[in-house]
Amino acid sequence: MATQPKPVDVGSDYKEKYGFFVPEDYVFKAKRGLNPDIVKEISFMKGEPEWMTKFRLRSLEIFRKKPMPTWGADLSVIDFENIFYYLKASDKQSKSWEELPADIKATYDRLGVPEAERKFLAGVSAQYESEVVYHSLQKELSAKGVIFLDTDSALREHPDLFKEYFGTVIPPADNKFSALNSAVWSGGSFIYVPKGVRVDIPLQAYFRINAENMGQFERTLIICDEGSFVHYIEGCTAPIYTTDSLHSAVVEIIVKKNARCRYTTIQNWSTNVFNLVTKRAMAYADATMEWVDGNLGSQITMKYPSVYLMEPGAKGDVLSIAFAGKGQHQDAGGKMIHVAPNTTSTITSKSISKAGGRTSYRGHIKVYPGANNSKSFVKCDALLLDENSRSDTYPYNDVDADNVTLGHEATVSKVSDEQLFYLMSRGITRSEAETMIVNGFIEPFTKELPLEYAVELNRLIQLEMEGSVG
Amino acid sequence: MTFTAETLERTELRGEPDWLRQRRRSALEAYERLPIPSRTDEEWRRTDIAGLDPSQFAKFEHANGAVADERELPKGVIVEPLSAAVMNHSALIEPLLFSMVRPDRDRFAALHAAFFTGGNFVYVPDGVNIDEPILGQHFSHESGTSVLPHTLIVAGKGARFNYLDEYIADGDDEAAYRSGSAEIIVGEGAEVGYVAIQTWHFADQRARLAKDATLKLFNITLGARFSKTRVEASLMGPGATAELKGIYFASGDQFFDFHTLQDHQVGNTTSDLLFKGALQDVARTVYAGLIRIEKGAARSDAYQANRNLVLSAKAKATSIPMLEIDNNDVRCTHGATVGPVDPNHLFYLRSRGIPEMTAKRMIVQGFFGQVLDRIPFEQARTMIENELESRLG
Repeated sequence: MATQPKPVDVGSDYKEKYGFFVPEDYVFKAKRGLNPDIVKEISFMKGEPEWMTKFRLRSLEIFRKKPMPTWGADLSVIDFENIFYYLKASDKQSKSWEELPADIKATYDRLGVPEAERKFLAGVSAQYESEVVYHSLQKELSAKGVIFLDTDSALREHPDLFKEYFGTVIPPADNKFSALNSAVWSGGSFIYVPKGVRVDIPLQAYFRINAENMGQFERTLIICDEGSFVHYIEGCTAPIYTTDSLHSAVVEIIVKKNARCRYTTIQNWSTNVFNLVTKRAMAYADATMEWVDGNLGSQITMKYPSVYLMEPGAKGDVLSIAFAGKGQHQDAGGKMIHVAPNTTSTITSKSISKAGGRTSYRGHIKVYPGANNSKSFVKCDALLLDENSRSDTYPYNDVDADNVTLGHEATVSKVSDEQLFYLMSRGITRSEAETMIVNGFIEPFTKELPLEYAVELNRLIQLEMEGSVG
Repeated sequence: MTFTAETLERTELRGEPDWLRQRRRSALEAYERLPIPSRTDEEWRRTDIAGLDPSQFAKFEHANGAVADERELPKGVIVEPLSAAVMNHSALIEPLLFSMVRPDRDRFAALHAAFFTGGNFVYVPDGVNIDEPILGQHFSHESGTSVLPHTLIVAGKGARFNYLDEYIADGDDEAAYRSGSAEIIVGEGAEVGYVAIQTWHFADQRARLAKDATLKLFNITLGARFSKTRVEASLMGPGATAELKGIYFASGDQFFDFHTLQDHQVGNTTSDLLFKGALQDVARTVYAGLIRIEKGAARSDAYQANRNLVLSAKAKATSIPMLEIDNNDVRCTHGATVGPVDPNHLFYLRSRGIPEMTAKRMIVQGFFGQVLDRIPFEQARTMIENELESRLG
């Protein structure tokens, strides 16, 4: 492993766009590096039960044994010994906006959290560093029996429920980065929606990284009991730094009979972050799982939200967009694992490469023996904005069952001259026209977002488009 | 006898030119050096070669390039067994032989390059057109043998002809190791039709296209319990067009593995790939194809499709169509489908009094028709239609 981090070019106008930086002020900061003592220390600091400490230590062993993935993006520049695995930004969770420290508030102001709160009047669980520091939950939700906590609090307050589901969808041995997360996880969201309860307002959490060389390893667990519905929104931005940061989350979701869960992410880490995330859902009889996944920032993203279709009638949906600018590699996609008969899945991927960026769609459709009469459809569209950019498509389709219909389609194209000419002949500048075309291209994604997020995404695309010479 | 240096010293190879003997020796070194591909190699992940040990079949069988064509050919045209051609046309062959099918690619390719015998050399000079197809047949009669023919096809500027490679094994005897490869060099403005009908284990078919060259390549895979076929075309000059088509029909416990590559090295090139397969019983197929557009290859147009018709509950098809695009000014589309016979089609035919079995057969024939109709000469088309018919049963 290289000890010298690769220099990163993040673009000089990044700071004005959405990069910002607030001086560090931490209550507790673990030492750099990774060993059993640090893992024990994290567990001790959090006052965790013994089974969790053991789980962390066992995961660390697995992490050490697993080789680095040799496919996908180049990860050799990650130096696991040069990362802070745990920081705690303030000593207790704040219950209201006013209680938050001023510098944290300043950061959130830039992100627009107060607006989001005003608009949604719902639970906002915003994460600053590794610990959820700001958390509010509508009384209405509590009355319905909905649990919406940061994952650490959930372990303390609902130990039995937590233990029943934690690590069951993504075991530590699933891959090297899920093992790492299992060893050092901190923060994230825990949601439990009881039988038959529909949560009409999207639940949101902002995740933030704000320390040099700090890994963020949040752990999210969502349980939708029978017939329930929840929409969870996760949005990320990160301030700018010059050495590589690692973000490696694990998201586990259980969608029981007749329930529906939608998980929306707009991920916009700064362009020096390695974003290596394992996201997986189990969907049971007639349940629906929808991943809406937008990847704009980071240096390297490797993320393939997946749905295991466990019982007849289960449905999985992945809607993914990726935008890769200068120096970025977005290796994203989706996985659909058909285990039971009469299950259906769709994956729609839209990717945009610009200024030498590279987007890769990587997907897997697996239909196990016995998962008869299943249907799956994958569509990937890629837009290349200039001749230096690159787009790849790696779809793996394995069918082991009878009467399965599987389709895959992909196209790669550039912004067409006809479209540009049409817009420019109406007095629109070239760069505006290109932005409009790109926004049109990702419209199937944008229209699935709540209005505020759609606006934010359009703004981000606009910034990305302006950010370099076309 | 084994695949060793001593074997290379056999009398029938001893007379070969020095450059070829040297090439065989270095291929043997590669064979000894390279490991057996394991399931961790991406290209071999879905391929079980545990039961395949070529060294069991180290007795060679001479399938020495029976060119089944006695008629007079235009002046300058060479159609000879490769073994004879390396003696007669050494200077012509030396720079081209194994320039595309690389011996060091894997253990099996190395073995083939070290020990190949048989196969043909076809050379059609500049501007020569041949209307009747040239036929090459490669036979394997004995069991327990290795048959490793290699064919080199060279089309000069503006040459135009069709070639049929037929790999024939007596019965479906599996106690043999058979690998038949072809290298096709299509010169500027030339037009080559190449059809390979194979029932063998390994096939590497690789073509190189110069400016304005056209290749129509058809791979028909029907046989061997195990087969691994690679069909690759490099588009090296603007205006080059490669049409790569495949048909496969797998039944019983056959396992077919296909790799295709559309390698757009320069711009203004076109490739069109369509591989259609039908599977029945407990057969399995894997298709993995890649369109690669190099950085400077602007205004390339590439199409790639893999369609699988799964006729039984236990048959299994895997499809991996991949793209790597390094230029924005291109048109690339690909698609893959895996599915059973459309019940509506079946219903339509049955409602007209056609029994289910016949209806299914008609649907399969129709499914292959799209590729069969494109085969540039009647003889190959008829032969393949008959083969398919007998297998559909």
